[in-house]
Amino acid sequence: MSATVIGIIGIVVLLVVFFLGMPVGFTMALVGLVGFCYMVNPQAGLALLARDIWAQFSSYSLTVIPMFVFMGSIAFNSGMSQRLYDAGYSLFGRLRGGLAMTTVAACAGFAAICGSTNASAAAMGRIALPEMRRYHYDNALATGCVAASGSLGILIPPSVIFIVYGLLTEQSIGRLFIAGVFPGIMLAALFIGVIYLICRRHPDFGPAGGPTTWKQKLTGITGVIEVLILFCFVIGGLFLGWFSPTQAGAAGAAGTLVIGLARRKLSWKGFLSAVKDTLQITCMVLVIVAGALIFGHFIAITKIPMALAAWAGGLPIPAAAVMGLIVFIYLVGGCFIDALALIMLTIPIFFPVAMALGFDPIWFGVIIVLVTQMGVITPPVGVNVYVVSGVARDVPLETIFKGAMPFLVAIIIAVAILIAFPQIATFLPSLTMY
Amino acid sequence: MSFHSPGTLKAIWIRKLNISKLERFEKFTTKFSNWLNWVAGVAVVAMLGLTVVDIVGAKFFNWPVPGAVEITGFLSVVLISFAIAYTQVLHGHVRVEFFTMRASQRAQGIIGVIIWLLSFALFALLAWQSYKFGRVLQISGEVSPTEEIPFYPFVYGIAFACIPVCLALVVEFLKSLSMAVKK
Repeated sequence: MSATVIGIIGIVVLLVVFFLGMPVGFTMALVGLVGFCYMVNPQAGLALLARDIWAQFSSYSLTVIPMFVFMGSIAFNSGMSQRLYDAGYSLFGRLRGGLAMTTVAACAGFAAICGSTNASAAAMGRIALPEMRRYHYDNALATGCVAASGSLGILIPPSVIFIVYGLLTEQSIGRLFIAGVFPGIMLAALFIGVIYLICRRHPDFGPAGGPTTWKQKLTGITGVIEVLILFCFVIGGLFLGWFSPTQAGAAGAAGTLVIGLARRKLSWKGFLSAVKDTLQITCMVLVIVAGALIFGHFIAITKIPMALAAWAGGLPIPAAAVMGLIVFIYLVGGCFIDALALIMLTIPIFFPVAMALGFDPIWFGVIIVLVTQMGVITPPVGVNVYVVSGVARDVPLETIFKGAMPFLVAIIIAVAILIAFPQIATFLPSLTMY
Repeated sequence: MSFHSPGTLKAIWIRKLNISKLERFEKFTTKFSNWLNWVAGVAVVAMLGLTVVDIVGAKFFNWPVPGAVEITGFLSVVLISFAIAYTQVLHGHVRVEFFTMRASQRAQGIIGVIIWLLSFALFALLAWQSYKFGRVLQISGEVSPTEEIPFYPFVYGIAFACIPVCLALVVEFLKSLSMAVKK
């Protein structure tokens, strides 16, 4: 059997075991281990298992994940989302569909301190959904906009997906973070545009909220000034090279902790809960990362990625069409496989293809994040939809999925815009010195 | 009043006994994993504290914490490996459940028996290999470059952390088995 055939068998077995429901990190590690043992020899494979796990778990570069997750967990447990919501309300509240627009703006703000989609959706869902209900918003619009806006968490830095992508492809995390800023603002604007259009067609879907006084507007804005300062400090510090990624995450977590304590919003119980959330999220992510690396070693010796990259590079169709195809594969795959697992599995295969086609690695990272955002709101396995349904228990899942669909269209438009104008993502990173 | 033959009574009694044993085993595993999870919690807080002290020291006092990078790496080993078991207890490891959700109870049980056995095999191998790797590092006396902290205790730590993971996987295995054989 040729190496390529063994590799393909490995991928098929992996997918079968995935679909049987074995945890994806465990599956990747096991299939990678068995494949490596078969290709090289059992002794080398087994020794590699222990060494790979040790190398990953003790890696300094991976410690950036717990630090940024800690930052988001503290923000989540210290009521920052409420102040962000109030600030958004003072801007958009009195417009038609204003509460939904407020949710988008508040999620974008929360995304500036939190790097995961489901934490953003959960944090904002608890505050935004009762408000929208009070004003008799359409259920689909209300829940769909929370699920979709929560996904901004991974596009606007910090972002767990950017970190993982950066680690897998050896790209600078600072440059990836900064690349997400403009696309993040653009996507938030597109989401607000979607809400505007929906409410123009169906004015009863999103009645306007009450007016706010100038004083309220001022308190609203000053209530979130610290978030802005913290964001500039952490992401700016990383961008300018003051901090290593881990240090930036720790500075952010410490800053969020100080804000939570100074505002008397973070209790001891809240802190312990933040620690626990951090552990479980970090562990979940890093087990998948470690599994993906073991699987990646196996796939690398089968030479499939190189063969695929050479093949795609020689195709007689434009590079943008190949990129469109890759996005389509993610869109379909994201329906069935958890977004993070899908990325881990496919990056080692698609990244060389994207490079062979001459795409910018940072730009490709932004595209990957956008397709991940699609994955978290598409049925049947859209994590954010499940998170929102956990908050709004009386709304059927189908309604939330339906409500998220217009926002999915907005993300697809964002991908198309980014393929046409890659500068939106690459302009800021091109300014860095390092 | 219902009547059971002695054979049925015995079967019920055995099933009850097994379930209470399984429950006790599960409780123990949960406690053990939760305890290790808090050790991991101390590691994450220590990592934050250390990094902040390092930043302040380096930027304001020109005194970075010596060996901060390698100590952070060691804390990371404790953080991740000691949290795996409790994450498993909470069913926090990402799985694709979409396809098996629709299967019958018995089919789900049979599939569970297979996947939890495979997962158990993975962590048993990891425990064994980490122990072996730890021995190698202990004998060769390998230490970290700056602070000269020996590597081997942390590698043994990974091997030890695999034990509650294996226990938690055995719990899942037994639960699936009882689902598979239930009449």
